[in-house]
Amino acid sequence: MMRKDEVHAAPADQSWVLNSLEHDQLARAKKHPIPRRHLKGPELLVLWALRIYLLFMMAVVAYQVWLAAH
Amino acid sequence: MKPVPAQNEDEIVVITHEDVDRAHDRVRVSEARAQRGFSSRARLLWLLVGPGVLVMLGENDGPSMLSYAATGAKFGIGFFLPFVALTFCMAIVVQEMTVRLGAATHRGHAELIFDRFGPFWGWFSMIDLTIGNFLTLITEFIAVRAGLGFFGVPPWISILIALIVLYSALMSHRYWTWERITLAAAAFNLIFIPVALMTHPSWHSVSHAFITWQPLPGFNKDTLLILLADIGATVTPWMLFFQQSATVDKGMTTKDIRFGRIDTVLGAALATAAAIATILATAPLFAHRMTADNFQAAEFAQALQPIIGRFGASLFALGMVEAGIVAAITISTSSAYAFGEVTHKPHSLNLPMGEGKPFYAVLTLCAVAAAAIVLIPGLPLVYVVLIVNVVAVLAMPPALVFLFMLVNDKEIMGDLVSPLWANILSAGVVFILTAAGILFGISIIAPNIFTALGGK
Repeated sequence: MMRKDEVHAAPADQSWVLNSLEHDQLARAKKHPIPRRHLKGPELLVLWALRIYLLFMMAVVAYQVWLAAH
Repeated sequence: MKPVPAQNEDEIVVITHEDVDRAHDRVRVSEARAQRGFSSRARLLWLLVGPGVLVMLGENDGPSMLSYAATGAKFGIGFFLPFVALTFCMAIVVQEMTVRLGAATHRGHAELIFDRFGPFWGWFSMIDLTIGNFLTLITEFIAVRAGLGFFGVPPWISILIALIVLYSALMSHRYWTWERITLAAAAFNLIFIPVALMTHPSWHSVSHAFITWQPLPGFNKDTLLILLADIGATVTPWMLFFQQSATVDKGMTTKDIRFGRIDTVLGAALATAAAIATILATAPLFAHRMTADNFQAAEFAQALQPIIGRFGASLFALGMVEAGIVAAITISTSSAYAFGEVTHKPHSLNLPMGEGKPFYAVLTLCAVAAAAIVLIPGLPLVYVVLIVNVVAVLAMPPALVFLFMLVNDKEIMGDLVSPLWANILSAGVVFILTAAGILFGISIIAPNIFTALGGK
């Protein structure tokens, strides 16, 4: 069944659109996810360190807001 | 990534409105590229310019212009002029990576993080973006309210005007038209240049500041807050998400990366000119020893009125309105792109309203909710503005590490992975931002440490 965001194009129009766009530029191609990547130990370490840094700094900002409010 | 060969004559392929609109844009680019000569190169630049200029002028938003105005009023002409230019150089390094990512993968930033690193890290990234974008959106409406307040416009009418402009840009349901309307609005960011010229700045002091980076500000908590606010005024997470998604929506390919870079540098140059002009415009307040700690846009304009007259002050206030409105458009669009990317709902400014309901609904909801908050009486608006820029700086290192990992991912980038020099520069940006954040934390937890180190 045709979705309402889809257009049934005549063959000439199809080839015009398909020749103008790269394959993975088509809206339908984007529905397929890119394969997942395995994160290595050092990468995970950096991601966790920055996550903890961000959470800690947000607590500092909240403390600053509390100080200003009082 | 090669174009798909033409299909069999009798085969029916299902394509979307989004594909047809994007194909129209690509045909114009291909035609311009096929021709030689200066005029066809200029036309190609005209067709491909957009995301870079929009992201840079969009980031010259309400809180950014207020930070620059506060910088000029508090420190005058000196260290902060070359410093602001340096922050825009950092922005170029970072944003260029999003152009390459978008052109090589044809995927948005949020989508790539979710797909490559999984939903656990994806949701962390989305939470950072959602909170940051929403807080920043609030400050854009604060700028609009304060700017129009100078002309005596009531807050609710100011907010309504901003929402109408935002919605008008969307009504075309065409990326190209939306981009040109927003670019035209963003050009008004340069209104700060004539305002600066009206203050008759000392060009000798300006050139001395750029050459020597002096006079240096005192090393204390206030300086650090302004330093952080000025960094947050040029590099923020929403910029990464917006430029990559806009590059994809515009349909840019690897052939367009060179023009994407020109677009980014052009945007940075224009934004630097506007930022430096704002510092120069408010520098006379420093010379007159005026305290501008709690100034909003309207107060800055009022304080400048005796120096540059009613016309100059009105231009300054209008500049703040423009900064708020353009950023409200780009930031709410960045939120809507990210939402569509992670939920795999259609997400393009080429979508007709009926087909892109979730995309336009998120965009509208973000803007309306932020606008409504600004109308709450008694909200400490100036404080919210300062904190938002600080939060942007703090959220930047984790966002940059995701970007760094994606742009060095050979599986998705192929030969377009970052060269060594780009990696060294981006690692430098992460280091500077993290160090600035840690210094800010120390200044809050142990405020006396700066006195002990010889500061004021």
